[in-house]
Amino acid sequence: MFDARVWLAWTLTTLVVASSARNPLYAAVLLMVTVVVGAVCGHDLDGRVPLSPFRFAVVAISLSALFNGLTVHIGSTPLFHLPEWIPLVGGAVTLEALVFGAINGLTLTVIFSDFAVLNQVTPVRDLIKLTPRAFHEAGVVLSIALTFIPQTTRSLKRIREAQAVRGHRVRGLRDWLPIVVPLLISGLERSMGLAEAMVARGYGAVSDREQPLRTQALLVLGLLALLGGWLAWLFLPARKGIGVAGMVAGAGLIVGVVWLAGRGVSHTTYRRRRWTVRDTLVLLGCGLTLAVVMVPIPGMDRSTVYYSPYPGLTAPPFDPFIGLGLLGLLAPAIFSTRRNTDDSI
Amino acid sequence: MIQFDHLSYTYPGASRSVLADLTLHVDEGEFALVAGPSGVGKSTLLRCLNGLVPHFTGGTLSGSVSVAGHDPVAEGPQVLSRVVGFVFQDPEAQFVVDRVEDEIAFALENAAVPPAEMRVRVEEVLNLLDLAPLRDRPLDALSGGEKQRVAIAAALAFRPRILVLDEPTSQLDPQSAEDVLQALVRLNGDMGLTVVLAEHRLERILPHVDRLVYLADPAGKRGREVLSGSPRHVLRHMDLCPPLVALGKALEWEPLPLTVKEGRALAKEEISGSAPGAMKRVSGFRPKHETLKPETALQVDGLAFSYNGSRALRDVTLAVKPGEMVALMGRNGSGKTTLLKCIVGLLRPERGKVTLDGESLGGRDTVDICRHVGYLPQEPDDLLFADTVADELAITLRNHSLVKSPPVSPEGLLARLGLSDLVASYPRDLSVGERQRVALGAVTVTRPRLLLLDEPTRGMDYAAKRELVCLLREWQAEGTALLLVTHDVELAAQAADRVVLLSQGEVIADGPAAEVLGASPFFAPQVARLFPGTGWLTVADVLAGLDVIDGGG
Repeated sequence: MFDARVWLAWTLTTLVVASSARNPLYAAVLLMVTVVVGAVCGHDLDGRVPLSPFRFAVVAISLSALFNGLTVHIGSTPLFHLPEWIPLVGGAVTLEALVFGAINGLTLTVIFSDFAVLNQVTPVRDLIKLTPRAFHEAGVVLSIALTFIPQTTRSLKRIREAQAVRGHRVRGLRDWLPIVVPLLISGLERSMGLAEAMVARGYGAVSDREQPLRTQALLVLGLLALLGGWLAWLFLPARKGIGVAGMVAGAGLIVGVVWLAGRGVSHTTYRRRRWTVRDTLVLLGCGLTLAVVMVPIPGMDRSTVYYSPYPGLTAPPFDPFIGLGLLGLLAPAIFSTRRNTDDSI
Repeated sequence: MIQFDHLSYTYPGASRSVLADLTLHVDEGEFALVAGPSGVGKSTLLRCLNGLVPHFTGGTLSGSVSVAGHDPVAEGPQVLSRVVGFVFQDPEAQFVVDRVEDEIAFALENAAVPPAEMRVRVEEVLNLLDLAPLRDRPLDALSGGEKQRVAIAAALAFRPRILVLDEPTSQLDPQSAEDVLQALVRLNGDMGLTVVLAEHRLERILPHVDRLVYLADPAGKRGREVLSGSPRHVLRHMDLCPPLVALGKALEWEPLPLTVKEGRALAKEEISGSAPGAMKRVSGFRPKHETLKPETALQVDGLAFSYNGSRALRDVTLAVKPGEMVALMGRNGSGKTTLLKCIVGLLRPERGKVTLDGESLGGRDTVDICRHVGYLPQEPDDLLFADTVADELAITLRNHSLVKSPPVSPEGLLARLGLSDLVASYPRDLSVGERQRVALGAVTVTRPRLLLLDEPTRGMDYAAKRELVCLLREWQAEGTALLLVTHDVELAAQAADRVVLLSQGEVIADGPAAEVLGASPFFAPQVARLFPGTGWLTVADVLAGLDVIDGGG
């Protein structure tokens, strides 16, 4: 399959486009794209069955439409009135408010489907491996925590069963004590056991270089520059350029410090994945989609990206070129292959 | 290779030392087995080999340890990890990541081993332990034996000279345990790796061992004696031995047999020394328990159950009579625990019927069922949370609203369980065997008519097992029906009247213990392998049977 960085880029592109485009037609295209990519690429699930995006859509669209319809009382097509004395929901329930809420629900569904695909195609551990070397320890901790979650869930189930066979029923908060105490103790015992096993396997034997004072000072300087630039951008409208320059310099300094700190971490990676042409093609697909939505291109009507049903409901516009551009996100499904082992060295 | 000189060690806060003036050596390339009762310090001794004791545990240590020229006390476990690979009892508890290859590579990645060399080393251990086909599998999807082999592979990633294992087969079925042992024998024999292993069940390991180290019970007649030497020499001085050795000692066989093959030759001589036709006369001899009542306590009919579409039980039918002890055996994942959970209502079967004393248990909830059925799960610690042993029993009575009129006296039950002196103790501070008995008390204080036990002897030494069998026999004599899930074939041979074998969720054999165990290649106890066709399963059977020969001949 594809590199974890590619999947991250694909997910972020879909997220940005879904959040920017307020047009239900484009959102529907995006939803179909994510469903197709999930169906084609999302095979390595280890038996996990994800919640269907269509089921999520039914719940999210209904709830969002209902909430917006009841709480937003603007729009030119009132459907019915609720008594004014009812706080928040009292007033006209309009078709426009319901449609706006439904569009929000659809956008939420696209975002859900987007992350569902990421969850299906990339193990979280591969994403953790993308963390900069400077945060290696944090990555290991997160990795262990991820292993602990299913183990703790299994323990909880086992302990509940064990307590049930001695006649225990959970009726109130206090009844959780016989479950929580063994769960905590077994969790602590497991942590100690794992720590012992890690030490026995040499974890911590290669001591990472301590960060010199200079690195720490540069990090503080970078953070100050970033904060100062942001404040200047917010409160000195006449000197926004200085603010932007400060933010860029600060961010650059922080990235540089993280890179420097990472050089001091002694760690290698087993089976680092090789970048392939297909990875590049998927990235190009993401770039195409991002470009048609974010960059003004002659011949394309970018105004169609933003749609509002207020004040009066109209049909949402649709530019076929932008619609086609969104299909750039289908690249993972188009260039997908099952030869996993060929990709790794 | 390994040298202990007058080593003593005391855990932090403990009043007495767990190891006292221990002097011991293990030569390079030896396969050394550390044996002894629970709590005698076997795990502590193993942890001294890589410096986990005292670096990880704290405490006071005196004397010296030398391991392949290193001093674990001075250098610490991280440095010793390059020399000593360590495998713990529960493989799952030591896994850091979730895939086979990643788990093996974890230590190498953290030691900054170059990727090319890492690839070679991972490949090497995958092949050594026959794990190559499983390299991409999630650890969750592996069997118990496969998981333990992954743990061994991970410990070998640094190419250590010594491999130390703390009860690596205690949670495995006989076949998986044999697979792990064969892997160890190959590593020891072909690669020259020094192996030091602690175990309770000696019978399957003794044939492969060069050196046996026995740590005697400090409270016993030998005091803190440490015996070390050839297995035959040390076994002569051990109180509790595997059945084959115990029989050899009882019949004064020379040399003391360590393998069934050795024992079979001696057994033939023993039989041939008797009168002609003796074998026929003793065939099928086995002490009988009191005559069972005709009615049935537990009746399971056509039970079926699936986990997410995967069949775990297929039309299981079995019965247990009052006062009968039935052993339910089978490989890991054959459906034994699932069956027990279906009986007590923790799982709802797809079809089939379960009745207790003629009453259907279908549709009743677990709490209601467990008023009459005692179920001891695999992990006794899951039951224990109270401050004292006495409270554990009181809580069960309170849960069932039986505090005012308990079916059995909690004090009396604790006395029968041998826990009278520990009434006020904190349950989790007790030994494995004692915790198991507290848990047993917590589920039997309602005086159940049926008792279901899931792997009750896991981690127990021979003495603790013997005590448990005595207790179960008492309950059995009082009419309690017992269904015992176990991998311990010697326990089944000692205790069970009948054995039911499960495979892939189906009952494949159901009959008297002597018939089923005697006929099974995997589940036959040592005595049944020595005297095939006689119906003998235990040392007591043989001794009684041979008396018959002598008397008859």
